[in-house]
Amino acid sequence: MKKGTTALVITAVIIGFLFICALGIFIWGKNSYNSLVAGEEQVSAAWSQVENVYQRRADLIPNLVATVKGYAEHESETLESVIAARSRATQVTVDPSELSEEEIAEFQEAQGELGAALGRLLLLTENYPDLKASRNFSELQAQLEGTENRIATERMKYNETARAYNTSVRSFPKNIIASIFDFTPKGYFKASDGTENAPKVEF
Amino acid sequence: MKFRKTIHLHSIDKVKGPVRKLLSAAVALLSLTAMSAAIPPRPEPARLVNDFAGILTPQQEWQLERVLVAFDDSTSNQIAVVTVGSLEGYTSSEYATRIGLDWNIGSADHDNGIVVLVKPKTGNSYGDVAISVGYGLEGAIPDAYCKRIIDNEMIPRFAEGDYYSGIAAGCKVLMQLASGEISEPREDKSEFSLFGLMVSFIIFSVIFFAILGRGGNGGNGRNNGGSGGTGADDIMRGIIIGNILGGHGHRGDSRPSGGGFGGGFDGGGFGGFGGGDFGGGGASGRW
Repeated sequence: MKKGTTALVITAVIIGFLFICALGIFIWGKNSYNSLVAGEEQVSAAWSQVENVYQRRADLIPNLVATVKGYAEHESETLESVIAARSRATQVTVDPSELSEEEIAEFQEAQGELGAALGRLLLLTENYPDLKASRNFSELQAQLEGTENRIATERMKYNETARAYNTSVRSFPKNIIASIFDFTPKGYFKASDGTENAPKVEF
Repeated sequence: MKFRKTIHLHSIDKVKGPVRKLLSAAVALLSLTAMSAAIPPRPEPARLVNDFAGILTPQQEWQLERVLVAFDDSTSNQIAVVTVGSLEGYTSSEYATRIGLDWNIGSADHDNGIVVLVKPKTGNSYGDVAISVGYGLEGAIPDAYCKRIIDNEMIPRFAEGDYYSGIAAGCKVLMQLASGEISEPREDKSEFSLFGLMVSFIIFSVIFFAILGRGGNGGNGRNNGGSGGTGADDIMRGIIIGNILGGHGHRGDSRPSGGGFGGGFDGGGFGGFGGGDFGGGGASGRW
């Protein structure tokens, strides 16, 4: 009789203990998972801002090319290289749910080429004082400069957001949940890539 | 039991990776902090005019601060003027945007901060000026407008060495443009006093009814003639206490609007930066 009750009590205690453990693990797992989801969401929001500002630059280009063409017809080669670089750059897209290192590098390279082509175009406008004096061109130049600064800002913000997320994905013990549910670290933009500093708009 | 064991193995297995990654993260973090260390820290107490380059007289600084604080009070748009001796390798627009982000200029609701950055021309270096506009004001102050303000209002005056009137003229146009978009008087003052009034009214009525109730209870036991006098007395006392408490609440509530950051200016100092975000909009110029 007595032995039976002790066994019962011990079983109850063990069951209770296991239950509490399971509950603890569940709550911890749920919180980790949810914070990872929130982090991933923030990274893709930051990424869409990056795409926005690059798109903004791409949208300025047809207008810019048309304006320059009006004053500098002989420079069709440079103008064409800008248009070609633009169409290449707009074709490279990054899967926002993956944001892998390779895809971002590819995106960055294509956009960097466009930036370099734009830089050459703007350098060439130096030879056309009428163009430089035109109000339309100076406004476009101001918009382009603002867009380059927006690109730099949003890239910096993306890198910071991705860094915070990657840290949480890789740090113990959250990395257990991350590996179970397949949360992968996101890629970064690389700074000072050579092409990075190409589009100098100010003269 | 088995489950715990796998976790354990998992953690050991992972340790080698994280150590390496931690190291690289630490290096990255170090370079990040080293980079942002170049941006001057947020001033304490918060000020809108920060003349690190020393190109304004104290009188001019005070005058600008007064105008900008009044503008912040009446429209909630925050224009911060910063002068620096060196751009620390950044472009001027980048530097201005980073100041805006680091100091959180503008309110969190509207992202309506503006940074006016001036690096004076010294010896053989160029003078640089940049305007960075918070997300919320990008529509009211497009990049081309910023460029025009810089080229038409600021640089001609800067070139003559008159930094104060260049900055003041630029801020004047910025204020006109910004107030067209967002013009909400700071709510702290009016709302807080209203809140204070309500609190004092509630306190007053609670005390009033408590005393009235006690007076009524007391009256039940005694004869009616006597209780009338004490009741009126208590009401009077209640009014007095209520007024004192109300007055206290009032004084306490209206304080944070001016004293929160210890600003000691005439019309109540600057209330502090509010958490605004920047996306890099704006323009820059060089002379």
